[in-house]
Amino acid sequence: MLDAMPWWAWPILLFVVTFVLGVVSVVAGIGGGVLFVPIVGSFFPFHLDFVRGAGLVLALAGTLAAGPLLLRAQLASLRLVMPLALAGSIASLAGAVLGLALSTELVQTALGVVVIAVAFLIWRSKGADAASEPDALGEALRLEGRYLDPAAHMVIDWRTHRTAAGIASFAGIGFLGGVFGLGAGFANVPALNLLMGAPLKVAVGSSGLVISVINSSAAWVYINRGALLPLIAVPSILGVMLGSRIGARLLRVTPASVVRRAVIVVMLIAGSRALLRGLGLWI
Amino acid sequence: MDLKRRPPEDAWIQERYALWLDRCTRIAFAVTLAAFLLYASGLAAPWISLEQLPALWQLSLPQYLQATGAATGWQWLRMLRYGDYLNIAGISLFALVILVCHGAMIVPFLARGERLLALLAALQVAVLVAAASGFFAGG
Repeated sequence: MLDAMPWWAWPILLFVVTFVLGVVSVVAGIGGGVLFVPIVGSFFPFHLDFVRGAGLVLALAGTLAAGPLLLRAQLASLRLVMPLALAGSIASLAGAVLGLALSTELVQTALGVVVIAVAFLIWRSKGADAASEPDALGEALRLEGRYLDPAAHMVIDWRTHRTAAGIASFAGIGFLGGVFGLGAGFANVPALNLLMGAPLKVAVGSSGLVISVINSSAAWVYINRGALLPLIAVPSILGVMLGSRIGARLLRVTPASVVRRAVIVVMLIAGSRALLRGLGLWI
Repeated sequence: MDLKRRPPEDAWIQERYALWLDRCTRIAFAVTLAAFLLYASGLAAPWISLEQLPALWQLSLPQYLQATGAATGWQWLRMLRYGDYLNIAGISLFALVILVCHGAMIVPFLARGERLLALLAALQVAVLVAAASGFFAGG
């Protein structure tokens, strides 16, 4: 029945699916590609090469759309994002140049296990180890801020620590993304929250902005390869952008406990997907 | 809340960057939406007809490029008269947004004595220009 559908029905369906993805991805601090690729790759007739390209630009557009709202609400910190995204994007391009030196299946499997393990870690932990004193690098970069949490009815001051380890983590996440085109943005939130001690909402908001910077460089790889089909990519971009703006408003008023659950669920889905792909059981 | 230790007054950084991000993203959105309407309505004739696409989008990228002679690298700039490549131009605007926003912050950062942030912004612009050049398309 699906094969008999006219060409114009597919962009409409894509628009609806990506609108919902846009709302969910901002609240969970991911780019959206990690959900888009398995869903569209499984249920739509497009080749995975074009689905991956659309997934990357969709994640870029969605995070760009949510960015201004998150910055103004102080849920994304530019001061925090700039060093992490720079490390991530340099490592991502270095990964793209080095190419495939390891088996993709092995890395997918390892990544899946790690992501599922981190999801359980977040679930079991009572929250991030809040940073009391910043380290020297964090002090130099003044990685601290303040935001109003309407859900908790309070103003929250925050600062981060373990800055060098945080930058190294984002370089690692970016490198894996560059080498394998994994879309590893879902690892940003635990790195910001569990490692660097940023509050979960700031971690989620800042993760989106980091993804927009790293995907800006990765998008050129797909453009230069001719791997973007407008009939797939553009309705997805438009849908996710509208959904993301609603998601950014929702993040501000959603209780941190709900955000935490959303992050855990998305990480379990993303980790299971990576694991199943690594084991050759799913695309 | 520790009232003795106030967080830095970063409101201007957040607000100025948000303003640039908002403006650039809206422009990219409007251009892409207009390009898509022209393309999908048939007002801008595509390089590859819409009716042919269901048979082509199931091919792998190398097979698709071989079957259609679609543009790679920066060749799409010379094909902007076709509706599908007009959309690629719209998508490329999204890839330029962060480059413009970071670039626009360098002078204000320097003017306010934020030399470290100015350096980070300049380095990020250099990385994005290198990516756009196509030098890293191998990944």
